[in-house]
Parts: sequence; C-alpha cells; structure tokens
Amino acid sequence: MSKNKFPVFIAVLAAACLFSLAAGPAGCSNLDIILNLRLPRTLAALAVGAGLGLAGALFQGVLKNPLSDPYILGTSSGATAAAVFCFLAGIERTSPVFFLSVFAGAFGATFLSYWLARLAGRLSDAALVLAGVAVSAFLSALVMLVLTSSGARSFSLFYFVLGGLYSVQPGVLAVSSLIIAAAGAVAMGRWRALDAMALGSENAYHLGIEPERERILFFTLACAATSAAVAIGGTIGFVGLMTPHIVRRLTGPSARGLVPAAALGGAAMLAAADAAGRSLFSPAEIPAGIVMALAGAPFFMWLLWKSSRGRN
Amino acid sequence: MPALKVSGLTFSYGPRPLIQDLSFELRPGDFMCVLGPNGSGKSTLLRLLTGFMKPSSGSVRLGGLEAASIGPGRLARLAAYVASETATPYDFSVRETVLLGRTARAGFWRGYSAEDGKAADLAMEETGIAPFAERSINTLSTGERQLVFIAQALAQETKVLLLDEPTSHLDLKYKSGIMALLARLAGRGLAVAAVLHEPAVARLGCGKALVFGGGGKYSFGPAAVALEPERLAAAYGIPPDSPLLPK
Repeated sequence: MSKNKFPVFIAVLAAACLFSLAAGPAGCSNLDIILNLRLPRTLAALAVGAGLGLAGALFQGVLKNPLSDPYILGTSSGATAAAVFCFLAGIERTSPVFFLSVFAGAFGATFLSYWLARLAGRLSDAALVLAGVAVSAFLSALVMLVLTSSGARSFSLFYFVLGGLYSVQPGVLAVSSLIIAAAGAVAMGRWRALDAMALGSENAYHLGIEPERERILFFTLACAATSAAVAIGGTIGFVGLMTPHIVRRLTGPSARGLVPAAALGGAAMLAAADAAGRSLFSPAEIPAGIVMALAGAPFFMWLLWKSSRGRN
Repeated sequence: MPALKVSGLTFSYGPRPLIQDLSFELRPGDFMCVLGPNGSGKSTLLRLLTGFMKPSSGSVRLGGLEAASIGPGRLARLAAYVASETATPYDFSVRETVLLGRTARAGFWRGYSAEDGKAADLAMEETGIAPFAERSINTLSTGERQLVFIAQALAQETKVLLLDEPTSHLDLKYKSGIMALLARLAGRGLAVAAVLHEPAVARLGCGKALVFGGGGKYSFGPAAVALEPERLAAAYGIPPDSPLLPK
C-alpha cells in the first residue's frame, strides 16, 4: 500500500528543500549565500526533522499512544539539559562524551516519565502525557536556573534551548546524521515488533514478542535519534508529534511504511518550518522551534479534543 | 500426549492464593469452557497457561514443554491467546491485523512470505471475515473485531487456542456463531479453552468444563457432569432453581 505513495514523500521533501534553499532576505541570486549559509542549514533541518519524526513514530507505536512524541515525553528536555551542562562544563560538542551525555539525558528523562506514568497502575495515555509534562517542566526550570546564574555564555545557550538552527557545526551534523540513519535502519528492520506493540504489550507478548525487551530497544532508538537531533538544533517540539499523524494518512499505521515516511516527512516539515521562520518576518528571524510550537500546539489541542471524543 | 497439561498449579497476587493446586489436561480435539464467579482467577489462569504470568508453583506443559521456561516466540507457536478486548488507536486493516499472527513464524528481518499470506487468508475464510479484509479494524462492530483476533490467533497455527471471554458484549447471533466456530476448530484437532460468563453459552459445544468454585475448589470433567445445575449453583452462590442456570 505504501510503496506507490513513496514518490509523494520524495516530492514533498524536494519542495521543502528548494523552499529552504531559496528563502531568506538575500533572495536567491547569490550563489555564495545559498551554498555556504543555506545549504548547511537545510541539511541540518533535514537531519533534525528526520530524527524527531522517526522518534515520534517509534514512541507512538511502542507506547500505543498517539499523543506521545520526544517533546511531550520529556526526551528532548532531558537531552537539552544534558547538552547545556556539557557546554557549561566545557565539553567539546563533537566529542563522544557530549553525544553520550545527551543520549543519557534523553533516555533518563524518558524512562522517568514512563516510570511515573506506570506508578498509577495501568499505563494510560493521559498519565503518560502528564508525567512527561512534569519531567519536562522540571528539567526546563533546571536549565533556566543554570542559564540565568551562569552569566557570560548564556545568550547563545539561550537560543540553543529555544531551538534553532543558527550555528551548525559540520562535525556535529555528520555524527548526528549517522546516528539518526542507524537508528532508522534498525527500527525499519523491526517494524513487525513495533506493529505488534501498537496492539498493546500483552497482545504483543502473545504474538511472540518480548514486550519489555522491545520497549527498551525502541526507547533506545528513539532517544538516540532525539538526542542526535537536539545536539544539532536544541529543543524543537511537535515535529515528532505531528509528522506520524500526517503521514499515517498516506501510509497506513503499519510501521513498515510509517517509520521511513515519518523520517522523510519530519525532514520536510522542519526544513519548511525553518525556511518560513527565516522569510516570513524578515529581516527578523524566528527560530524553527518557535515556528513548530506555533503550528504544533494547536495540533496537539486538536488531538486531545479528538481523543476525548472516543476513537482517534 | 496431551496438548496442554496443568499440574499442581498455584498462583497468588497477595498472601492468599488465587489459584491453588489446580490440575487438568486438554487433548487435541477438546473444547473446554472455564466458568466461575468474577475474580475467581479464570483470566489469570489463561495468562498462566501462556506463560505471560509465572505460577508460584506447579507446572504448565504445552506440547510437552514447560511454559514458564520457554520464550514468547516459541510459546506463540504452541498456544494462541485471544484477549477479551483488544483496542488500538491506529487503523490497522483486518488483513494487517491477521498477518501479525505470523509474527513468531515470519522472523524479523524480512517481509511476510507467501506461506504467511496463505495462512492469513485461510484464517480469514475460516472466521468469515474475508469480505472486509481491507477495512480498518476500528470501523468494525465488537463481534466482527472479536472474529479478527480469533483469525489472528488461527494464523499462528498453534495446537492450543485460549480465549478470554470471547462472547461477552456480543449479541446472541455472534455468541452462537463464535461458539460454533470454536467447536468446529476443536473438531479439526485443536485443543480449545474459553473463559465464559454464562453456563448456557457453554452448552453450545463444550465437551469439557472447568468450574472455579470459591475457596480453591475446582471441578473439572465432562461438561454434562461439571455443568450440573447443583454444582454451578454452589460455585456461583445462587439458588439451584435459578432461571439463569441451564436445565
């Protein structure tokens, strides 16, 4: 079913890339600006968007919860907090220690949300969202506390926390892209387990899946993709939430088509969002994180409204 | 060799055992109903039989293998389980859902084989859901969805089929249809065990019955004996002449 829809995603992705390469106050006549400023930035948007879209599809499947995404579960906040502490500790942004710390922050925050939600007994969609909000709020407050009390470098860090794609380092972009591609490849190989989990963990067990093991595997993949995305662009929300919902309409719910489509769709969405942020209010520039929140928060409200009316 | 052999099974959530020293066996072709009051441990029993929950003591053997000591992949090829209700927010098609029954046979790193497709098609024919193979499971009625998950279990091609309240929330037509389907499957050599709520439904084809009375008492045997009104009345704590009991 999904195979003949694939060209649609490629076309959308190509359009978003063109938009991103052409948008900006300098117009599109200056080749130097296009190649040296907009191209790296477009590549960064593609990588971050793909990572977040992928993570969203994995979380929504493995948790059987259409409201989950790395932003809402606290994964992004965990990664951002870890990244900020690394910056303040003077750890190089391309070092393995940096990537490992950011991953650990993402994974820790996600499991904390999951564990908190499970405390209430049966895992409900609402409990997971509430736990994620609590964990995110606490981590964000912690980051703000550190930023406001640390002085000197805090202005660039503040922009990192807001989520944006200004200062892309080629090394970070390369490592992050590799991590996201690897996470996507493993997830695509195990699409059947993800589908079984989307019917609930007890059903998955009886189909021959080990639910605890798959949960840890898919959390790991989603957290790796999220932390790689955060390493490039800071906290950018709602890409992971919106993309799977939109692409599911074309591919159907099976992870076989959904996982690659969510990565492509997320890449296209963030490239377009970043380009819109650069061009709509020019010469002022709106960070991609804010553009996504402006679009994503109403989308989340619509999802909540829809799920409160029964079937999603 | 019995398809399923339970001996001395004991399980407790808290200090008080919920299931105590339960023994019975099912042979290929047996269709057994499990009856008893709410909270007496019927659904827990099914989860113990599939190894989803581990017993405190005693043993469950599926085709000669100890259920607690084999992984879910192997278990899913020995026993299939149909939950009383499976809900998902995602619009999987009927065929995709039935094909997921092949998870334990298909292996992870490749797609479904022609054989998997054939097993799914056969299961959909058997349960009569083939006409809506491409529809979303969320657009089906409760009864139709129940048939989809029975088809998913059939696609697993196991020797043992376990069902938790397959007929609750269904109208009389679906109740009798599903019971006839299960009896037909048993007739083909499957060992079938179904938790039921109404003794009258159990009369639709069950050859054996396991009745949970309170306080660690069980009666297991031919349905005609185990479902005698006096025994059921004692198990449920209702008068023996209640119109709810089958005559």
